[in-house]
Amino acid sequence: MPTPVGTARQCLTDEAARALDDAVAVARRRNHAQTTSLHAVSALLALPSSTLRDACSRARSSAYLPRLQFRALELSVGVSLDRLPTSKSVDEPPISNSLMAAIKRSQANQRRHPESFHMHQLQQQQQSSLSCVKVELKHFILSILDDPIVSRVFGEAGFGSADIKLSLLHPPSSSRFSRPRCPPLFLCNFTSGFDSDPTPLGFPFPFPGFSGSPNGDANSRRIAGILTKSERRNPLLVGICANEALRSFSDSVERNRDGVLPEELKGLKIIYLEKVLCEFLNGTGTEELMDLKFKEVGQILETCSGPGIVLGIGELKSLVDDGVSMDAVNRVVAKLTELLKFHWKKLWLIGAASGDDTYSKFLNRFPEIEKDWDLNLLPITSFMPSIEGFSSKPSLMGSFVPFGGFFTSPADFKIPLTCKSIAMTQPRCHLCNEKYEQEASAMRKGGAATSVADQHSEKLPSWLQMAELDTNKGLDTAKAKDDSTALNAKLIGLEKKWNDICLRLHQTQPCPLPVNSQLKSDNVCTDSRFVSNLKESNSRSSSLDESGYENQNLSLPVDTQNISPPRANGSISPLCGVKNADLHQKVSVSISLQLEANVPPLSRCTLPNLSVPLDNPSPSSVTSVTTDLGLGTLYAPICHEPKNSRLQDHSECVQNRPGSVSTEHDDASENSSYRRAKISSCCGLDSGGQLDPKDFKSLWGALTEKVGRQDEAICLISHTVTRCRMGNEKFRGAKPRRDVWLHFLGCDIVGKRKIAAALAEILFGSRENLIFIDLRTQGGISNPLSLVCRQDLNGYDARFRGKTVVDFIATELCKKPHSVVFLENIDSADLLAQSSLSQAIRTGKFPDSHRREISISDTIFVTTSTKNSLYRKEGTEYTEERILRAKNCQIKIIVESISGDTTRSGIDVNVLANRESEVNSTGPQEPSEFQERACKRSRKTFLDLNLPVQGIEEDCGYVSCESDSISENSEAWLEEFYEQVDEKVELKPFDFDSRAKKLMEKIMYSFRETMGSKCLLEVHPEVMGQLLAAAWLSDRMMAVEDWIDQVMCRSFVEARQKYGPAARTMIKLVACENLFVEEHAPGICLPARIVVN
Amino acid sequence: MGINLLEALNVRVVGSGEKILVFAHGIGTDQSAWQRVLPFFLPHYRIILYDLVCAGSVNPDYFDFRRYTSLDAFVDDLLNILDALRVDRCYYVGHSVSAMIGILASIRRPDLFIKLILLGASPRFLNDKNYHGGFELAEIEKVFSAMEANYAAWVNGFAPLAVGADVPAAVQEFSRTLFNMRPDITLFVSKTVFNCDLRGVLGLVRVPCCIIQSAQDVSVPVSVAAYLKNHLGGRNTVEILHTEGHLPHLSGPTLLARVLQRALSR
Repeated sequence: MPTPVGTARQCLTDEAARALDDAVAVARRRNHAQTTSLHAVSALLALPSSTLRDACSRARSSAYLPRLQFRALELSVGVSLDRLPTSKSVDEPPISNSLMAAIKRSQANQRRHPESFHMHQLQQQQQSSLSCVKVELKHFILSILDDPIVSRVFGEAGFGSADIKLSLLHPPSSSRFSRPRCPPLFLCNFTSGFDSDPTPLGFPFPFPGFSGSPNGDANSRRIAGILTKSERRNPLLVGICANEALRSFSDSVERNRDGVLPEELKGLKIIYLEKVLCEFLNGTGTEELMDLKFKEVGQILETCSGPGIVLGIGELKSLVDDGVSMDAVNRVVAKLTELLKFHWKKLWLIGAASGDDTYSKFLNRFPEIEKDWDLNLLPITSFMPSIEGFSSKPSLMGSFVPFGGFFTSPADFKIPLTCKSIAMTQPRCHLCNEKYEQEASAMRKGGAATSVADQHSEKLPSWLQMAELDTNKGLDTAKAKDDSTALNAKLIGLEKKWNDICLRLHQTQPCPLPVNSQLKSDNVCTDSRFVSNLKESNSRSSSLDESGYENQNLSLPVDTQNISPPRANGSISPLCGVKNADLHQKVSVSISLQLEANVPPLSRCTLPNLSVPLDNPSPSSVTSVTTDLGLGTLYAPICHEPKNSRLQDHSECVQNRPGSVSTEHDDASENSSYRRAKISSCCGLDSGGQLDPKDFKSLWGALTEKVGRQDEAICLISHTVTRCRMGNEKFRGAKPRRDVWLHFLGCDIVGKRKIAAALAEILFGSRENLIFIDLRTQGGISNPLSLVCRQDLNGYDARFRGKTVVDFIATELCKKPHSVVFLENIDSADLLAQSSLSQAIRTGKFPDSHRREISISDTIFVTTSTKNSLYRKEGTEYTEERILRAKNCQIKIIVESISGDTTRSGIDVNVLANRESEVNSTGPQEPSEFQERACKRSRKTFLDLNLPVQGIEEDCGYVSCESDSISENSEAWLEEFYEQVDEKVELKPFDFDSRAKKLMEKIMYSFRETMGSKCLLEVHPEVMGQLLAAAWLSDRMMAVEDWIDQVMCRSFVEARQKYGPAARTMIKLVACENLFVEEHAPGICLPARIVVN
Repeated sequence: MGINLLEALNVRVVGSGEKILVFAHGIGTDQSAWQRVLPFFLPHYRIILYDLVCAGSVNPDYFDFRRYTSLDAFVDDLLNILDALRVDRCYYVGHSVSAMIGILASIRRPDLFIKLILLGASPRFLNDKNYHGGFELAEIEKVFSAMEANYAAWVNGFAPLAVGADVPAAVQEFSRTLFNMRPDITLFVSKTVFNCDLRGVLGLVRVPCCIIQSAQDVSVPVSVAAYLKNHLGGRNTVEILHTEGHLPHLSGPTLLARVLQRALSR
């Protein structure tokens, strides 16, 4: 039963009620019968300055451009609203139950947290007799976000509603400028929470984040901090940069720069004793002079109205230099001590020591000095003069230009974007302002043009644009990540430039900021910086502005108007106008250059990520998102494959198939007809009549041809795939799902891979469309030397670097929506993969680690595990594990005399063989080592940067107890997962033993043919393992037999030529452990030649 | 608001011992870097772990670009944490930049620290007339511009270099934590660190220090360890780890743990 709008409004504060009204308006406009949470979201997002959109822009994923993501959100909301049934237009569509429930929830929530009430609200409540709590907008939004429909809508656009909630609850620290009401936590003011400690730690006065002043470097702030203390209040700076820091501090104090001195010390004066002391100490000055100075200080102190005087004694070194007489130093120190004692209230002392050795020397001489002078040691470890130093110093910091935005006060972010603030704060004249505006708007456009987002030709709706602007001005130093930051930096730079130009050229109106004036407003900090820059450039009479467009000749005459530089030249030349124009040109050139140069590194960084998102602008993945065509035929999906060539290839391959299958297949195996008969008997029966027999047969035929074994499994697979891809079984909403989930059990991992690859090739046209991931090798456990693992099937490569499995799959799926995802060893899937797979199999959408979903409507998932195999026969000689260990070694023939006969020659041969083998194995050591290293490197590429490395073996017996629970979890998960797959297919183990027998027979046959019957042959098991592995891997039935005919026989002949057909010899076929195959025989993983010793 | 410094910097106190031991990580890692060293000390110490404000695991909003312009602000954080936890005496293990932070903290509050263990520490990374810090200014600028140009690529190249030893897991771990940092913060902090020069203040340290240095370290030449030993004001020892890389706690945790144990027991 929906609630009338009026009732709902009663529960809300005015602000929230307005939001509700907007929501109702949205519902009315769309002719919806009720107002739901979705309407509320839509309305909230449409507001010009909405809390929700703020929160979204803070919570959004950094992987996308803000614009893209907001666009996605808008689409998502729009689509969801479109789905709602329309009805007769109602004047005030009543509030739906779910939205009303949300309001109730927020009421309850607010009741639980009374401290979050506004005072006025409490008063209101006391006045009115209304017992119900009025819901604040924030809480209203929070509980709307709880609505599953809403969180799904946000999820589709890549927003986590939990993140949004979090950012609603915790406004970022930088938002303190806009929202003084909720004091942000900050790292220094937390101590107030620790009640036992009344003295504030570390920061005796609010630091500039709060005072809002960008001026003053950290060192000066610390010095000032010491001055405000009640004891140990005289700073002694120690460190290599101590003198610079001291100078910078006194500079700031002299200029009364904001933010350096706290309020209570405003008006502090500095008197330098350095010169007088030095002169006295090195004998050039007299004691009278010094006394005079001291007296002067005393007089000033007595008449002084301000907080007092700081005595700068300069570098301590002058007091401890070897050439200085002890007597003089003693006198100086005594005088200072006396002065400090006498005027302790109003007198400070400040000094510097460039090294700790100076200080310790001084301390040795005057052990009590720390107490007498009330010194506070301040280690100075770095020197950054102050913020303007960044732009003027051609040092390390010079390279910071692209990050310029970060070094200015957050207030800067406000300036360039609103004309109002510009008009209020900028010192530009109208003309320059106009130009600036032009440039800035061009820059904004230009900035957008470089972004990938603009591949969408559509215009953004107004609220999205607003959102973008909002993120720009965002007042959010930290979050302003991608293009907005760079744009801001550019805009600030631009603004500064125009300010500069204006001041130099057009400054006819009274400048609000004469040099040396105190800068009070936050908003003018850029200008202040600029002014000091200008001053610098004047006084130094060299203008080294970083952008280098400044022209001394031009700037001079104009400067006279305001600043009266030392080289003032009264004639404001009539040429000025001309030059101005000139300068304008130059400036605009330099600006546009900068525009190009300033392709923001940050956004460049984020660009690669753009291939991931849901609505990737490339056509292929667009189709993957928007189209979910219920095409019935097996090969139809290829039709919307963007590449035509592939399409043709594929159709060719489809057309050719029946013929090629029948012909090739028939020669290949004599019993194919038998197979077919058997297969149709085993699974054709339960097809239920819906199956297109042609599709099934062609798939089955092609698979059988490509794989060559596992007939029953292939039959079952073909059947399942055909059935599922008909799309008659599963549904996602109203649309049929055509994704297929297969699970391969049992042995024959090579067979599994082959089937998967064949499926990719047959269904999607190419083996490229196989996304292969071995979930076990993720940890780098696999043996890369193994023959079997060396397959080109291996999908792990550099692309995988830095991604989770899930993200890797998602990326690949974006690129190739029509593909087979082959997940080997599903039992090793990590939690992330597990949850993604569960969701994918349930919903038909594969979520990546950021919860973005990728449609898998035309994807086949094949998972494998080797556990729980029914076919595990005991007593087989060649097990699969053993074959998996087979290495890709060089095979060698060793000729020996038959043992028992210890004739000299026999031994010689033996020894020779050994020595040779040694030579062989030491010679090519290098390549093998190299290979090992390569393998190591390849293992390194299985980086999963999102998962911490855990449970490393070398943890010395600290076995993590988590592993058990994890394995339990995965057991449960596996069971659940297996329940949901479309078909579980058990593969039979490859019969290595009988194959080995056949191969052995073949080898013996060839051997006898070449060597005669008197020689003996010994085939080492490693070699047989290798042959079996090759047979296992090979696509052709007789590949190994062919190899025996060609390669092995040739070697036997070679051996016979070398040693003659001696009767009592033994020929050994051995594998060289350390020597890996360099050249393979064509079409098979066996060496192209056998070494004969 | 509910979050305080302890939460913001993910301060954790673990272990069951009496004595307090602080583990502070360096740039590019977070407290998880100590994970494999930790088990050796859990039974004997109460261990305080925290993340530097620049670490990837800390909300980047807390990184105030105007505050963290020098190491002093980091020192403030450390001291604030220790005060908040009411620590009056502790051992301190600091890696790289945290070693510098530890040095500065011990100058400010000598009573707070029983012993400093400086892992891969350097008072100054840039070379000078009579000092070999390991880096030339030009080199550093190149590194910075590489970092600006393509952070991801830089991390991929730098991580194996920094780890040095051929331990893929360590490279992976370091890359992960390095990736977690926001590039601009990494760059800013790196610049802060390279701009920093502790040479003038080392003598002010009164707390005994143990300098642990890998035999091969791309960031810190071995000579720096000797420099530290000679210039730090307290009783100092040097331990050279026979391993490679700037991150022995990732690449050789067992070895490091043994040396740490020895250093702490003395």
